[in-house]
Amino acid sequence: MKFTPTLTFEGGRIRPLEATDRDALLVVYQQPELPGQRPLEQPEQLDRMIELSVQMAATQRGMMWAIELGDDASGYQLLGMASAYDWQPSLLKVALRIDGLSALTMANRAAVLCSCIHFMAAKYHLRNFAYAWVQGQSDAIPAMLESIGFRASVIMRDGWRLGQHDYCEQTLYHRILATTDMDTATEANV
Amino acid sequence: MNWNLEVGPFVIRLPVMDQDGDALYGLLKDPEVSAHIPKPPMYASVQSLDELRRASMKFQGREGACWLVECHSGDVDALAELLARVTLYNINWMLNSARLQWEISPAVDVAEFETIIGAIEAFCFNELGLHRLEVALVPGSARHEHFLAQLGYRHEGRLPAQLEFDGQWVNLDLYARLATDATVEAHV
Repeated sequence: MKFTPTLTFEGGRIRPLEATDRDALLVVYQQPELPGQRPLEQPEQLDRMIELSVQMAATQRGMMWAIELGDDASGYQLLGMASAYDWQPSLLKVALRIDGLSALTMANRAAVLCSCIHFMAAKYHLRNFAYAWVQGQSDAIPAMLESIGFRASVIMRDGWRLGQHDYCEQTLYHRILATTDMDTATEANV
Repeated sequence: MNWNLEVGPFVIRLPVMDQDGDALYGLLKDPEVSAHIPKPPMYASVQSLDELRRASMKFQGREGACWLVECHSGDVDALAELLARVTLYNINWMLNSARLQWEISPAVDVAEFETIIGAIEAFCFNELGLHRLEVALVPGSARHEHFLAQLGYRHEGRLPAQLEFDGQWVNLDLYARLATDATVEAHV
């Protein structure tokens, strides 16, 4: 049974991870976006992550998608990954994250996030979506988040760890949907 | 590592599952004690026993800990009463952060509270090596906001729609204190 669906957006699609994605994902994780994160050295870690993605979706702990740009006619290219984590089904909330290569534009990222949000709201009735922006990540990310309805809620001092004794600020953004009419993912006035 | 602390007249100790259920129920049955979290009041001591059981599992999994606070002042009646339960949860060993939560008797004053939480903070920073302690509070919890200000916690923002309680979605104010905010003296 597949818990992670394939969803389309303008210019591409997101789909469940597959074992054959390892090499393409390794390229993505050679250029980590998060400050303090090192390039991935062991491809086997990605095999475990791909296996784990199935378990996480089945147990409603998280969901991972490969992000591909392209179309059915000319084919698709994997340029990133979207993750839903810290999923708390009873509290109707989840956190989202995107890791991608530079060819994945902010418009692509916004479209991917909207696809994830609409799916998780309609299928699992989630209404509270969070995104953590770490100081040092692209400055374009906060503007992208705000363009699709996220608002900054908390600035966490030393909320992200860079090294043994080094930390930096992390800003949490939230997008809250209305409790009613979750199927159409209506925005709440919050 | 010794998780049991003594500071002034206060004994701050890990719970004993088979023995502390009734005393914990005595503390938590008052709805005011948990109103800032928020959490429904308890109606029977089996609920407190269940919470102790769950706390024990989290402690074994290194996910959290809870301490019970007693005052050893020589008063026999006071010995049977718990002054507070303080819970450490959401420990993230990668980020060196965790959340603190307390349920505290209305009889505890600011100075006593500072002594108790100061000892636990010192343990978290100095012994556990945590760097960041957070507290999440229902907005408008005046007594606890005052406590946090006295302890040097800084307000970092408001987390929206964190849980549903009494038919309402509840926002939580987030406060934090860092190990580097000020010198944390070892109380133990």
